[in-house]
Amino acid sequence: MEKVRFFLEQTITYKILTLFLSHVKDFLEIFGTISYRFFQVLKYLCTLQINYKQVIEQSSRFAVDSLPITLSIVIMTSVILSMQISPELVKQGGKDFIGLLIALTMVREIGVIMSGFAIISMIGSSQASELATMKVTEQIDAMKSLKVSPFKYLFLPRVIAGVITMPFVVVIASACGIIAGGLTSMAAGKDVTWLCYVTSVWQGLYIRDINIMLFKSACIGGAISLISSSCGYEAKGGAKGVGNATTKAVVLSFVAIVIIDCIFAIAFYI
Amino acid sequence: MPIKVENLTKEFNGRKVLNNISFEVATGEILSIVGFSGSGKSTVLKILSGLLEKDSGNITIDEGDIAMVFQYSALFDSLNVFDNISFALQERKEYKHKYTKMQLKEIVAKSLATVGLSGIEDKFPYELSGGMQKRVSLARAIVTKPAFILYDEPTAGLDPVASTVIEDYILRLRDETKATSIVVTHQMSTITRCSDKVIMLYDGNIVFRGTPEELCKGETPYTKQFITASTQGPMKIAASGLI
Repeated sequence: MEKVRFFLEQTITYKILTLFLSHVKDFLEIFGTISYRFFQVLKYLCTLQINYKQVIEQSSRFAVDSLPITLSIVIMTSVILSMQISPELVKQGGKDFIGLLIALTMVREIGVIMSGFAIISMIGSSQASELATMKVTEQIDAMKSLKVSPFKYLFLPRVIAGVITMPFVVVIASACGIIAGGLTSMAAGKDVTWLCYVTSVWQGLYIRDINIMLFKSACIGGAISLISSSCGYEAKGGAKGVGNATTKAVVLSFVAIVIIDCIFAIAFYI
Repeated sequence: MPIKVENLTKEFNGRKVLNNISFEVATGEILSIVGFSGSGKSTVLKILSGLLEKDSGNITIDEGDIAMVFQYSALFDSLNVFDNISFALQERKEYKHKYTKMQLKEIVAKSLATVGLSGIEDKFPYELSGGMQKRVSLARAIVTKPAFILYDEPTAGLDPVASTVIEDYILRLRDETKATSIVVTHQMSTITRCSDKVIMLYDGNIVFRGTPEELCKGETPYTKQFITASTQGPMKIAASGLI
């Protein structure tokens, strides 16, 4: 029996299966931990134990600090998209659809997703490393020993800031993206005028899409803060632990954005 | 007894860090817990302060606030000294909105004066020396008038003079606040100057209990090895998980 077991353990299928199962276990553990943190945050939110000073501070970090990089990424993506599609659509006689296409992609996908990615790299990573440093230097233990809940003081303001601020960032970024796309299409595609572009944009924009964009960006903002804070809070060890927590926060936040986007696409566009 | 610990046990990854330890601390008394690094001293403090869950055993602590002074001060580095000291008064549910800004300023000033650091309210932790950070963390600990103060290696990393200053403040705080204190340390001067009672932990067990004077006599193999800092004796560093 022992020999059979030893033989089985040496097979590639067994090793792949073991690796896969360990990843599934890790994922379920992380999902469980983040869900637990979410309910902790919800508990303090429902009892209105909100530190408004912290919310304002975190919101200003979320919006002001991330805006330049978010705008750069969304505008550049829009410019590239417009440069690629405008000449082709003009050639095919579809110049009246350039604005529609840019507006739809901005509002439904690129505005939210690219802003999310920019915010993860700017704010999510900083939140994770900040909490991880606090954890490894016993500042979080000190907070607990002073009978102040880290969920109330650290998590809740960050999550609220993410939920409130992210839609504003996305609206500004998407609007700038649409404008940049228009200017690029006028330069790249012959016969495309500003009026023609704007008319096409209005044809493609629906209130429903904007509402979904706002809701989706609020969910993504909250998820980035919750995941980043959770990963930071779980940090162990010294500098390496801080680095690992930050990496984990960035990777998980990226995955979460894609999953949330997928859920919204299925829920609202199928 | 204000603090009574009976048969306390704690395991980490299958290794018993605390193995059925029991001790008591009387009101206003200072108990020192000594032992090698990794012998479970800080774990006792973390369990008493509620930062860690015990596996088994009974802990009875009288009514009153428990404050903890951390090994490396653990000051909030994004807050200045004023906000660090008044943190509990500003954020804890029972104190929130109880004090006006002026009252908070008075409390913080009084607390800082107790540790001999008046006028540094606006400074940030990174602007302070290690000894000053320790004293600010003492001031933060006493601001809620705790009945119990737990010190986790309060003189670690400090020069001898700064250590003496911290030891003086430990005694002064005991006299002024009448708080019951537990000091985790392996510094002989802290043990002899501050303690009323001493217990020594080794490999999760209490291997000595008595007064500082009895410890200094070195009459048992454990105390002899500890005070002579010898590598020869019953206590092996490997057993405490260092190597």
